[in-house]
Amino acid sequence: MTAALVVGILAAAGTYLVLQRGIVRITLGFVLIGHAATTALLAAGGVARRGIPFVGGEGTPGDPLPQAFALTAIVISFGVTAFLLTLAYRARDTIGTDDVEAPDPTPRSAAPGHRDDTTSRPAPTDVEGRTP
Amino acid sequence: MLFAAVGSVFVLAAITPLLVRVLGRNAGYLGAAALVAVAAWLGSAGPAVLEGEPVTASVAWMPQVGVDLALRMDALGLLFALIVLGIGAVVLAYAARYFAASQPRKASRYLSLLTFFAGAMLGLVLADDALVLFVFWELTSISSFFLIGGLGEGKAGATRALLTTSLGGLALLAGAILLGVVGGTTSLSGLAADPSAVVASPLAPVIVILLLIAVATKSAQLPFHFWLPGAMVAPTPVSTYLHAATMVKAGIYLLFRTTGILAEVPMWTPTLVLLGGVTAIYAAFVAVKQDDLKGLLAFSTVSQLGMIVLVVGVGTPLAVAVAALYTLSHALYKATLFMTVGIIDHETGTRSLARLGGLRRTLPLTAVAGGLATVSMAGLIPLVGFVAKEEAFHALLDAGDWIGPVGITLAVVASFGTFAYSARYYLGTFEGAVVTPAHRAPRSFELPALLTGVAGLVLGLVVPVLDPIVNALARDATGTDPELHLALWHGLTLPLGLSALVVVVGTLLYRGRRRVIALQERRPLPRGADVFDRAYDGLLALGGRVGRSAIPDGPAPYLLTVLGIAVLTVGAATASVDRSLLGAPPTSLPGDIAVIILLLGAAGSAIVARGRLAAIAALGLTGFVVATWFVLLGAPDLALTQLLIETLTVGLVVLVFRRLPGDFPAPGRRRQSLAIPVALVVGVGATFATYVATGRRELSDVGGRLLAEGKDLTGGANVVNTILVDFRALDTLGEIVVLAVAALGIVALVRMVPRDAVPTPTPDDGPTARDVADRRFGGPGMIGSGILRTSTAMLAPVMIAASLWLLVRGHGAVGGGFIGGLVAGSAIILRYLSHGHADVWHHRTTRTVPTVAVGALIAAGYGLAGLVLTGAFLDGTKVALPIVGEVAASLVFDIGVFVVVVGLVAAIVRHLGQSVGDHPLPTTEDEIDDERPTVDDDVDHAPVTTGGAP
Repeated sequence: MTAALVVGILAAAGTYLVLQRGIVRITLGFVLIGHAATTALLAAGGVARRGIPFVGGEGTPGDPLPQAFALTAIVISFGVTAFLLTLAYRARDTIGTDDVEAPDPTPRSAAPGHRDDTTSRPAPTDVEGRTP
Repeated sequence: MLFAAVGSVFVLAAITPLLVRVLGRNAGYLGAAALVAVAAWLGSAGPAVLEGEPVTASVAWMPQVGVDLALRMDALGLLFALIVLGIGAVVLAYAARYFAASQPRKASRYLSLLTFFAGAMLGLVLADDALVLFVFWELTSISSFFLIGGLGEGKAGATRALLTTSLGGLALLAGAILLGVVGGTTSLSGLAADPSAVVASPLAPVIVILLLIAVATKSAQLPFHFWLPGAMVAPTPVSTYLHAATMVKAGIYLLFRTTGILAEVPMWTPTLVLLGGVTAIYAAFVAVKQDDLKGLLAFSTVSQLGMIVLVVGVGTPLAVAVAALYTLSHALYKATLFMTVGIIDHETGTRSLARLGGLRRTLPLTAVAGGLATVSMAGLIPLVGFVAKEEAFHALLDAGDWIGPVGITLAVVASFGTFAYSARYYLGTFEGAVVTPAHRAPRSFELPALLTGVAGLVLGLVVPVLDPIVNALARDATGTDPELHLALWHGLTLPLGLSALVVVVGTLLYRGRRRVIALQERRPLPRGADVFDRAYDGLLALGGRVGRSAIPDGPAPYLLTVLGIAVLTVGAATASVDRSLLGAPPTSLPGDIAVIILLLGAAGSAIVARGRLAAIAALGLTGFVVATWFVLLGAPDLALTQLLIETLTVGLVVLVFRRLPGDFPAPGRRRQSLAIPVALVVGVGATFATYVATGRRELSDVGGRLLAEGKDLTGGANVVNTILVDFRALDTLGEIVVLAVAALGIVALVRMVPRDAVPTPTPDDGPTARDVADRRFGGPGMIGSGILRTSTAMLAPVMIAASLWLLVRGHGAVGGGFIGGLVAGSAIILRYLSHGHADVWHHRTTRTVPTVAVGALIAAGYGLAGLVLTGAFLDGTKVALPIVGEVAASLVFDIGVFVVVVGLVAAIVRHLGQSVGDHPLPTTEDEIDDERPTVDDDVDHAPVTTGGAP
């Protein structure tokens, strides 16, 4: 039950954040969902045996396989997080905000080699009813 | 022989840059000599070919569909091959003087590309398979794009030319495939031998139309003619070779090649006669109006190609033979004319007829060459152009039905214009008063033009020598020998009378040219290029509109889809679980309850946090609670990793947040009403699924085996680590590659635009927000604390040592490459906080690209060593070392993991950690050793423009 609740709380909080505006909050949401996934992975190996899975360890050792999976999953999600945050950073430099839904983001600088978009984007409707 | 001939031209193209390096631009002469040699070699087979014994060569290419890499040289192939190689040689010799000696790189580029084009064109005219022909056809289009200057100033013209001819290329491909399907083979000689199946097929008109689109695009016939004048931005040698003498003849060649297959299709002849005739007349009169000499010649080429299309289209053996002669004579005089224009442009600096005149005195040889070519183009005795025009009239008069009268009318009217613009070219440039003074041209520059000009005269005088080749060509193409006897003088015939009429009307037209021009300007025709551009832009806009419907304003709709599918999948899987197989849920420990309570608080504050600082704190707290939970679950490796990652994540988020506004935008009501229910559904679903599906399994078989035998197999007691580096090392290899890519992605994203493009903040998120952020996190100098500096100086080496210790002991106890790398990364961050960005930047060991590359290579090299030594990729073994004792070789692999992780952290600190708004960094990432920036934390540097170069 504990594992289930941990996963549920993390998943709910992560989902809420992922649906917000701005890459930063979305990234935070992904981190939480990542925690949820790691925990679920670990729980899949069974939570009754809680000994350290070392040869010669004490108690009933847990399943080492999900632990190995979870370990790399943690590191990978860190890599993804770093990349997402760099996108936010880049977005801030390029369009002045990390809020990709911000109305009419005027490009401040065009990267060399980037063609101007020939299709004019219709002004996005302001979901939040909020002026930029 | 044929493969060797085509191949040798391509080889020549490949080594031309080397030749230019040795010989300078004179390498053009060597190239010309080589092309002449190839032509002579092919020509040595001429007598046999003219006797009706073509040279063939073939190797299997796609035997499954019966397509061979087949080449074949019959009389048609021979004539075109000689034109391609002969004019090619002249053009290379001309280009050797056209490009300045001071620009060897330009000369190298164009000489090489021109030779490459010659190879493609030679392959095209020798191809005996429709698909092979298509391949060479596309090669000529692509090399044309680069020769026009598709990446430089000629971009618009080159792009139009490429897209137009590519359209034709696609039509050719479709036509070739249909030919193969209907005729049973894609071999052109095979199809010509028995065209009945193709002619009888209901698809025949489709094939004809497809091939005519290919012809019209390549040979600049209406309505696709516009790309050719646009292509005149190319250097003159290119215009001479591609856009006058050879490439535009590829369409004509295709007509010659397929006339034996398709001429019986009823629509063939009328379509071609009308298409060619109308193009010829239209372009001839547009040419009269041109002021730019190259424009005049471009429209003249369009017009002359129309004439050839008209004559070939008639389809009789006589007409085909005459069309071949016309093609040859056009190649000679048009190449000459283009070369003279290049000389004039070079020596006067202008190509405008309004600013030219009287050049006969300063450029005598050019005037002779241009004069001869003009006479040939206008169709005056005794040049080969005269014979060609006379015989064309003759062949048209000879054609049956309505084709004869219509064809001759169109041809004669077009010839009026031809005569007028020919006169305009010669009289406007070489005669009259001098307008723009000219430099004298070097002999060597004028000679190639003179050579082709004189060739037109000589061929006119000895025109009967061409009898065998044009007759053999017509016989190869149509199956009947027209027994044509070429001669300058046939007596007083009807064609001669028509020629006289052309001279009279043409002269009148030339004298009244102002009125012709005024008439055209009063009724301007739509410019093809404009129509093309409008269609092109329209197409892109249409694509944008279509794509638009799939592009929401933000990521939320995408993520909703992903989440929805995840919930459905998990839900379905959960519902199908057989409950009877599950054991009782395990009991919770008291510590678990504490975890839940802490987690509720941490995740809750992450949700409600409005300020970014609060969000970071909540995020970090959540991670630490999860780490605690891992400890309770008996996974110390995981807990340690989680703790370190959480520390690094908080550091990373802080680095990024310094650049962002201090607060999140407040969520709107509509979004909340969507996000909250979705989050609740996902949360409840995840809880339920986890509760049902996990937590109560027995130890898995694999897990049990690994626990039991892992130590014996690998020598490592830490089973989790042995799984990472031994049992499932391939997974780990993939994962560190992902980390390496993430590190490189960070580098690329940050380096992507000039650093001076860091925006001035918008009024509302304001400079204050940034200033506050800077102050909050210690400003550009990070945390300016002496205590921290001192303690870091002592602590960092200890941390590095600890990380190495964790790395080495990882196989047997808590630790390993991931954990060790993260500890070392924390040391880097600490150093960054205490000593500032510049300190980290200058440290050799933190350079991202080499670091991740070395790490990945160590890991991959370990795998390859296993492959070589034991025959299994990533196979590990135990090595007995002195003193240390038995060590697992997989330590090497773990070192690779360690290094990649350090590289990722280094990437973050180096590239996201620089101070806001200042500190220009070197242009290219880390690779430049000798151009280290002298960045000092206390000094404001003016931003340096980096990047920006294409």
